[in-house]
Amino acid sequence: MSVEQTVARAQMPTQMKDTRPGIDWRGRALDRAPFLVACLMLALIVAIYGSLQSGVFTLDELNLDTAAAMTLMLAATGQTIVLVRGGIDLSIGGMISLGTVIAATRFTDDPSTTAFWALAILALGFLIGALNGLLISLLKLQPFLVTLATWSILNGVAMIILPTDGGSVPGWWVGFASGQLLGLTSPVWMLLALLAFWWWFRATRVGIIIQASGSNEKSAFLSGVSITRVNIVTYGLSGLFAAGAALFLITQTGAGSPTIGKDYILPSVAAAVIGGVSLFGGRGHLAGTLIGAFVLTLIGNLVFVLHVSSYWQPVASGVILLLSVLASSVAEKAARSRVL
Amino acid sequence: MSAFLSRNRLIVLAYAGMIVLLLVTAIFSPGFLSVSNMRSTVVLAAFVGIVALGQTFVIIGGGIDLSVPWVLNSAAIVMALLCGGQDLPLVWVMPLLLAGGALIGLVNGVGVAQFGVPPIIMTLATNVILQGLILVLTGGSPTPSAPALIQFLSVGRIGGFPVIALIWLALTLVATLLLSKAAFGRHLYALGTSATVAEFSGVPTARTTVLTYLISGLTAAFAGMLLTGYSGQAYLGMGDAYLFTSIAAVAIGGASILGGSGHYLGTVAGAMVLTILTGLLPALNLSSGALLVVYGAVILITVSIGSETFAGLGGRLRGRRV
Repeated sequence: MSVEQTVARAQMPTQMKDTRPGIDWRGRALDRAPFLVACLMLALIVAIYGSLQSGVFTLDELNLDTAAAMTLMLAATGQTIVLVRGGIDLSIGGMISLGTVIAATRFTDDPSTTAFWALAILALGFLIGALNGLLISLLKLQPFLVTLATWSILNGVAMIILPTDGGSVPGWWVGFASGQLLGLTSPVWMLLALLAFWWWFRATRVGIIIQASGSNEKSAFLSGVSITRVNIVTYGLSGLFAAGAALFLITQTGAGSPTIGKDYILPSVAAAVIGGVSLFGGRGHLAGTLIGAFVLTLIGNLVFVLHVSSYWQPVASGVILLLSVLASSVAEKAARSRVL
Repeated sequence: MSAFLSRNRLIVLAYAGMIVLLLVTAIFSPGFLSVSNMRSTVVLAAFVGIVALGQTFVIIGGGIDLSVPWVLNSAAIVMALLCGGQDLPLVWVMPLLLAGGALIGLVNGVGVAQFGVPPIIMTLATNVILQGLILVLTGGSPTPSAPALIQFLSVGRIGGFPVIALIWLALTLVATLLLSKAAFGRHLYALGTSATVAEFSGVPTARTTVLTYLISGLTAAFAGMLLTGYSGQAYLGMGDAYLFTSIAAVAIGGASILGGSGHYLGTVAGAMVLTILTGLLPALNLSSGALLVVYGAVILITVSIGSETFAGLGGRLRGRRV
């Protein structure tokens, strides 16, 4: 392109730029900037980690890291659905605690009993989430306060069932996380399953409605969407994934804990936000959230191989969270100025 | 009078709830209304109330401050480290740490107001960063005991009244004046109701937002120092409970989490309700798990009463449109 052409293009009115034929790569990149920033961060962390530690680029390492991140990933999957809906779910902390506590006190060596209780925990997760959604819709309450209250209630129930950490689950349940197929452990297959789930889910009627009511509740309602039903499904799914997170978490810990869930509430939001999910609803992709969860998990590994105090881990995750939010808000501003 | 009641229905309800709760507790545990027991209840409520003061301002302005736990904890630990159990250093340590708390609040506020970071994320990030820095600083080891002067401020008495209750009373007066009489208060309610309308009406929205977070940093740091005096020592994790209780006190006090409504006077009742509940449960022989269940139920009930659905219902019952 000659200098004259460049100048001419720069002087063109903005609306003409967008109507030119071909794919608007810059616009697309700006749209996906938060996600790209997350990918870049993960690549950077993996690169630093890989250069300091041998054996990082092996299947073993992938298996290990995915197992370490999977509880957060499951919790964050539910949180992503809620965030895309434009809400927030703090009650997942209580549900995760309650799930591990029920599992640790009810699971036996008998597979059918264990299977029954595992299904019961999943059903309970969905029901409690659905109740959150119902309360939010019927009483027109803020998701933050409703789920704060139900978090407290669930956490309390978990403490009543099992006041301190303890209980146990059968060995074969714990062994699930190290089960292998084609060299990949079950957590890696779960990760692939989560991605497949999202790929399917976002194109379903329910998925589209959740996203639509997250971007504009009023227009979704005016298009005939029942906000009550959307909320019941959204928070129900979040509860379901929290229950799943509890069932996976107990393969890692082997025991129940009435307080462990609170460690996943805000990190699940952080993972989603690092991955480019907007807190204002309507925008976000699970792939971003999963990358965010990997970023948060690998910071721990990085702190370990850098031989600095492990206490730097929260500092690093806080800084990364801020950087990614700033990056996406800058990109969003740029994208908006192009549209206007 | 009736205009006052209808405008502050939720605050009046919070106080009514507090009184009912006091009476119920007195039935189950006759010694509860004794002077010494009321004194210790007020002292415990004061810590919640002071932390919730800043939270009230932030929430009325439409934000939320999740950095409260580690601002509080940082102030407590740094104070204990710098004073080493001596009174004299407090002369410069207290102002320094109050300024430190205000600085964290300033960072939160600037992040929210200038960079458009959602309050949840901004304050969550400063919270974990502070947590990490304090862990690095202390290496997880305990700190020296609290100076005698700060112990006097939190457990001492003047003429039978706990000093901290008098401090709380003074802070309540200041907060009430700020909210009800000062231009800042009017700006704050305008900002919380609609940031866009406030901006176009000439309200300095950015400055008002930053100020709310600054106040929250200030009160959290102050509460941290006082709490060190109360427990005799600063320890890691001492602020964790105050995230939940500070937000719960504001919600029970009748403020909307969306901003634009509520008053610190309501939060005072909220802090009292939460603290009385902690006293009620041992009397009923209930565990700490049950306390969490009751906390959750109380929040759900109070925010339900404040919701549009209930307000509409009440209006219909009285035979007029709301």
